[in-house]
Formats: sequence, structure tokens, C-alpha cells
Amino acid sequence: MASIEYFGYALFALLALLALAAMAAPFHRRKKVSFVLGAVILAAITLTASYLFASGSSFYLLNIFRIYPFSMLFVGVFSILLLLVMALSYDAPGSFDSFFMLFGFAALGIVMVPMASSLIGLLLSLELASIPTVFMIAINGKKFIESSVKLLIMSGIAISILVFGMALAFPYDAQLSLVQIGSASGPIEGSYLALLALVLFIGGLSIEAALFPFNLWVPDVYEGAPANMSAMLSGINKKVALVAMMEISFAMFAVYSSTYVTIFMVLSIFTMFFGNLAAMVQKSVKRLLAYSSISQAGYILVGFAAASQYGLEASIFQMITHSFMIIGAFAVIMFLENQGIKTIDEYRGMSSRNRYLSIALSLLLLSMAGVPPLMGFDGKFLLFTSAIKSDLLALAFIAILNSFLSIYYYGKVIIAMYQPKKEERIVAPKAIIAVISIALFVIIIFGMYPQPIISIAAKAASALLGI
Amino acid sequence: MIQILFISLITIAIAIAANIIFGRKYSQHISIAAVLLVLIYMSYSISAFTSGSLAVSESLPYISSLGISLHFTLTPISIMLITMSLIVTLAAIVWQGIRGANTRSINSLLLLFLLSAIGLFASANLFLFYIFWDVGVISVFFIIRSFGSASRDVASKNFLIYSIFASALLLFAIMLIYFYTPVGSFNISYITAHSYEIPIDIQESIFMLMFIAFAIKMPVFPFHSWMPNAYSDAPTSGSVVIAGVLSKFGAYGMLVLFYLLPVAETLKTYVYAIAVVSVFYSAFAAMRQNDLKKMAGYTSMIESGIILAGIASLNYLGEYGSVYMMLAHGFTIALMFIAIGSLEFAYGTRSISILKGAVSSAKSASYSFMLAIFGSTGMPLTAGFIAELMIFIGTVSAFGLYGIVPLAGIILLGAYMYLAASRSIMSTKEKLSEVGIIGKSQKAAMAIAIAAVLFFGVFPFIFLNMVKI
Repeated sequence: MASIEYFGYALFALLALLALAAMAAPFHRRKKVSFVLGAVILAAITLTASYLFASGSSFYLLNIFRIYPFSMLFVGVFSILLLLVMALSYDAPGSFDSFFMLFGFAALGIVMVPMASSLIGLLLSLELASIPTVFMIAINGKKFIESSVKLLIMSGIAISILVFGMALAFPYDAQLSLVQIGSASGPIEGSYLALLALVLFIGGLSIEAALFPFNLWVPDVYEGAPANMSAMLSGINKKVALVAMMEISFAMFAVYSSTYVTIFMVLSIFTMFFGNLAAMVQKSVKRLLAYSSISQAGYILVGFAAASQYGLEASIFQMITHSFMIIGAFAVIMFLENQGIKTIDEYRGMSSRNRYLSIALSLLLLSMAGVPPLMGFDGKFLLFTSAIKSDLLALAFIAILNSFLSIYYYGKVIIAMYQPKKEERIVAPKAIIAVISIALFVIIIFGMYPQPIISIAAKAASALLGI
Repeated sequence: MIQILFISLITIAIAIAANIIFGRKYSQHISIAAVLLVLIYMSYSISAFTSGSLAVSESLPYISSLGISLHFTLTPISIMLITMSLIVTLAAIVWQGIRGANTRSINSLLLLFLLSAIGLFASANLFLFYIFWDVGVISVFFIIRSFGSASRDVASKNFLIYSIFASALLLFAIMLIYFYTPVGSFNISYITAHSYEIPIDIQESIFMLMFIAFAIKMPVFPFHSWMPNAYSDAPTSGSVVIAGVLSKFGAYGMLVLFYLLPVAETLKTYVYAIAVVSVFYSAFAAMRQNDLKKMAGYTSMIESGIILAGIASLNYLGEYGSVYMMLAHGFTIALMFIAIGSLEFAYGTRSISILKGAVSSAKSASYSFMLAIFGSTGMPLTAGFIAELMIFIGTVSAFGLYGIVPLAGIILLGAYMYLAASRSIMSTKEKLSEVGIIGKSQKAAMAIAIAAVLFFGVFPFIFLNMVKI
């Protein structure tokens, strides 16, 4: 056994430790201990994953997990994001002990999705990622039950569609492994069942990733959930579904690319337009961000539609970018919501309440709108050029158009914040300031110098495509 | 070989950081020192450029997968425009005074804007051009939005909508160019060399998109309606940089565009026609204004029209004439806005009809305003004279006698403005009582602008030697 495999086992030992810590949390009921333990374990997972990523090795572990740069990149990124969400939730209204128990298991599922090397593994880890989330919303109080039930129903539907897809894929892939269906030269002849399976996979995952026709649950759930959970749903769970979609379409159904390119293109166009147009008429900032995060998923799909090394690279870049942006933005919103400030009207005069928060939120929103030199611009620029490189000029233009449409509603929030209106000062807690500052730091630094993120995204993309 | 541009950009970036950290007390000191330092680099580069001991091209890898690098070139044009932006921004910073309100925030934004101006005028690829363009626009938006006058709501919204529209068109055009050049590229010199391979109808649509984007920023009729509000509702230091430097973003972009695509040769007559219409439109519009800042805005639009005419002539004199005009216009309009700002500070109003007899107590501001009028009509010994001379020789050789038509617009406006100013501000019959007293910092800012207007009018060869005219 090569020495690098020990690190793979170490990763699983850490995951098991996380689960143990999570289970122990409701018994000892010490918030601080759980938090520190969780933070240390997640940091250790990030370090191990980045070591494995840097080594560039690719191997199977226990026949159900695959360690390769693509999975390791997302394991590392997701654990950093989970750490941010945990820091946000520390002061949330619900009990942190029960939160931490559920969080540990959700984290387990989230981290396992990119590593899963079979459809069964993928399904189980997706379920593990989504079910605890439902209860993480519900434990915060009675008024959150509605939102959690909606989420529960939607994830149930998503899972059942995925299972149906798996059943249809079974004749072509008896081990249910994520290996390529059909020969390298072309798809199976008369393979309508395989295509149907592909469509069902994309449909099921679209529910979780909130792509156009399947996104109607998103605004209600995001608005009804506490903001730290909205951050988790849009910053992490959505990306998990997109990762699964990437693995299924670009690894398993690679030879059907001409088919799903069209699907992704249509999904992308409708998702962008729906998200942006609906966001324009929102009054609640949280709902506005929910729609904006729908449209951001549309931009990410532009890279899927490009279906090339560049496209996936750009999509991965934008997924990382959007996670940091949306978690930072929801951190601001979480704090303001606790102060009773929710609608755009109530945001007026924010700059006199707390200058740092309003600068931070403005920068995060500008980054989402795609204004240079912030990271959101680099992501969108890469996506648009990747579409152009794949000869999808029309898609690139629609995406650019949408990107500029979106400045309208982001600008509305920013303009409201800088309205001349004197309000009394408010002071944010340190945990929230820390999360916002980290998000801001990433957005600005890697916005001005994106090359490191681009090269790791490129490494992951080429690992996925097997180039 | 010294990499002047990287050093300049880093200096400004450090100054912004220092401003944010130590700005509560030392904002003015830090900002002025940083701008002066970069000005020294630039004057060194002027002398080094002729002797050839200067790195003309500076490049660092940036996004290697798309072949984008941080690539800057130092041409005579970029040296001229960067020097102009530095002096104008210096005047804007000095104007506020040490005890001004919000100096830290305004100075940070002004320096950020200066950073974008330096980057934009020197960028060698369209990607960097676009990035710096947007950074400049956003920092100006926040200057208007946060520190403007009472009716800044409408002004900043209009500004944002027009700017976003311009940015969108620009990005469309850049993507089209990237798609249609043989090896997708953003590099300006590469595109210039290979643009004849782009199909002619695509060239036309690229030209249209970019023309509208740049015309909005210049501004040129009929894309100017953001301009009066933005100029009048911005704080004085903001108006100075918007009129002095931001409008040059559009003008410089237009210059790049005309030498980028060969189709410009067939379209130049139409563009010239737009320029002439713009000159006359703004001359008549300026006469209708009562607000001095709006009048100054329309005056600056006349000169934008003349710059456009010079660029459209597509010959050597027209090109460098328009560049010199950008320089001259930057100084004169800065002087004009500073003088207006000081008048407003002294008397609490900008209305021509109320400001009768302003010269009685605010002498410095009134005389500066008169000098600015002389400068913008192109009086000999001001920088505008040299520029107009070159431009009109250029336009006459390109369009025949029609080339002289815009001159009528300038003379018309000049005559009107002498008359209006001498009746109201310079009137000796009435006396006006002051509300505030113009301070040293405001006088210093006027002195900087006056010195620049006269210096580059008396010694034009400093720059013209670099291009060997």
C-alpha cells in the first residue's frame, strides 16, 4: 500500500471522528467544546484533502470512494465553507448542541458526495447531506417548521427521482459504478432508457440545485429558514447537487455530451432569466438573494453547457466564488434580521448604522453582479469566454445580458444602504464579523489575482474529464 | 529598465491602504504625497522616454489559460493622459482642505479612481481596459452616491444606469472581438494587426457597440443625458475628476477603437457628423443654463465633440491634437469646476443670475473662472489653443472645408460666455456678500489648475517632442 493511501484512510478517520463528536454533543452539552472540536476536525480534513489534492494521486478506497483531485478539491472547499456556516450558527436561536449533532452528519454527507464512486454511494451521501438540513432548520423554533417541511418534501421527491434514474441506468451499469456508459466511441444504439436515466438524474439533481422549472421551493424555504441555514442551503447544499450533476454527466454519460449540452443550455438560459427577473420585484432582501442565487446557478450551468475543460474549470471557479459570496452576504443578512431589518426599505441609511457591514455587503453584492476586480467578475468572465470557445456565442450573450440585468437589483440594495438617513449605530458580534471578513478577503484577493484558484480548478476539471 | 507603471500602481495602492488605516488624521498628507510621488515618476518617464531608457512594455502573467497577462505599455499618449489625471486628481484632493468633512472616504475613492485611470490609459489588452473601466465607474458612482448634493439620488441612478449599459456594450464587443480574431486574443496590438480578418459586418457591429459605449462616457449627443445631473450633483472634487478624467476614459477608448478596426475609415464621416451635431447642440444647451455647474458640463461636452472630430479625422495631427485636447480639457474643466465650487462655497449658490458682482469679494474664484472660459475657447497661451490648432488642421485635411464647422460652435459659446460672465460674475455695479471665505486649500487647488493650463500652453513641446510632430 502506497504511503499516500494512508492519508486517504486518515481522511475517513477524521470523518468518523466528526460523526463521533457530533453524536457526543447532545450528551455533554458544552457549546464551546463542540465548536472547537468541529473546527479542528474540519480544518484537519481541509489540510488532508489539500495534501491529497496537491499530490495529484488517484485511487479507489474501500471500492466505494475515489480519491482524486476533483473530489479532494471539493472536500477541501466544502469543509472550509462548513466551518464558516458553523461559526455563523454558534449564536443562532436554536440549541447549538442539537444543531451540532445534525451538522456533523450533514457535513459527513456533504464531504462524501464528491468522493462517492458509485451511484449508491452518491445517493446515500446526498440523502445524508439533505435530511439533517431539514431538521437543522426545524430546531430553531415553531415558525421554521413550515420551511423545513417544504424542504423535506422537495428532497424526498428529488431522491425518489434519482432512485428511478438509477433503476433505469442499471441495465447499462450493473455495478452501479460511476464509470462511463457506452463505448468511448459513441453512445449505445437505441438507448432511450439510458437517455431517460440521464434526464431523470439531471431532473432530480436540478431540484436540489434549484434550476429553472424545479426552483419554486427556493424563495419560500430560504426566506423561512434562519439565515445561517439559508447560507448553508445556497452556499453548500446547492453546490453539492451541482458536483453530483457534474460527476454523473461528465464521467458517467460522457459520450452523450451532444445531448446534455442542449439540456444544460436551455436550463441555464431559463434559470438565469427566471432568477434575475423575479429578483427585480422583491422587497425582502433575503428573498432577493434567494432569487439571485438561482440565477447564479444559471451562470454556473453556462460552463456545463460549454462541456469542455475550460467550461468545467470556469464552473468550478464560479461555484467556489458563489459559495463565499453568498455565505458572506447571508452572514450580514442574518445579523440584520436579528435586529428586525429585513426589507430594502428598512435597509435605508445602513451606512450610518454600521459602516463596515454596509461596505462589506456592497462589495459582496457587486461581486455577485460581476463587477471587476472582484472574484465574481473573474468567474463570469471565464464562463463567458468558455462558452465562446465552445462556439456558443448566443449563450454567452444571453449570459452577459443577464449579468447586467442583475446589477439593477443589487444596485437597488446598495443605493438604499447609502441613502442619507441618520440611524442609530448597531454593533455586530465578532463571529459574524469574522465570517464576513473571510468571505471579503477571498473575494478581493482572488478577484485581483485569480490564477491560483483557476489553476486548482483546472486540475480538478481535467481530473474529472480524465484528461 | 524601470517598470514605472507597476511602481505607480503599487504606490497608489499602498496610499489607499495607508489612507484607510491612518486616514483619520493624515488623509490629505498621504494622498497628496502619493500623487506627487507618481507625478515625479511620470516626469522621469517623460525624460527617459526620449532617451530610450524606459521599459515601454511591462508584463506579468495573470490568467494564463486565456492568455491574459497584466500587460501595460507606456506610449506618449498614455504618458500624457496619466500626467493629466494625476494633476487633475491632485487639484481635486487639494481642494478639500485638511479639515474637510469625509476626507478619508473621498480621498480613498479618488485614489482608487486614479488607480483605475492609470491602469486604463496604459493597458495593453482589452481585458485590463474593461476591468479598470469598471473600477473607475464604480468608484465615481460611490463618490456621487455618498457625498453628492441633496438631489444625488436621481443623479447617481442615472449615472449607474448609463454606465452599466456602456459596460455591457463594451463587454459584448470585447467578446465579439475575442470570438472573431483568428487566435482568440484580447491584446490590442495583436487585434490591430489582425482585425482585417474579421468580417466587415461584424466589424461594423463591434464598432457600433463600442462607439455607443464610449460616446456615453465622453459624453456625446445623444448619449449625454446622465451628464448634467451627475456633474451638478457630485461633490466639487467629484465633478472635477468626472469631467476631467472619467470623460477621457471614453475619449481614449474612442481613440483606441478608431485605430483598432479598419472599418473606421468608412464610418468616420458619420462619426464626424455626430461630433458636429454634438458641438452645436451643447453650445445652445449651455446658453440655456442658469446653474454654473450644468453650464460647465455642457461646455465640456462641446470639447468632447471636438475631441471626437479630431479622432474621426483619422490622421496624425487629428490623433495627437485630440490627445492634447484631452489633456487641455482636463485642466481647463478642472479649473472651471474648482472655481465654481469655490464660488458656491463663498456665496452659497451656483446660479448665474444671483452671482452678480461676485468679483467684489471672491476675486480668486472669479478670475479663475474667467481664465477657465478663456482656456476652453482656446485662447493662445493656454493648452487648448495648441490642441485646437492641431485638431482643426487635421479635420480640414480629412473633411475639407467642412472640417472647420465645429470652430463656429466654440466661437459662439465663447462669445456668449464672455458676455454672461462679464454681466454677472464680473459685474462691478452690484456687490454680493460672502457666506464663507475661500480658504488656502481652495486657492492652492486653483493655482495648480491655472499653472497646468498655462504651463502646457506655453511649453507644448514637452509632449510633442515625444511624438516628434
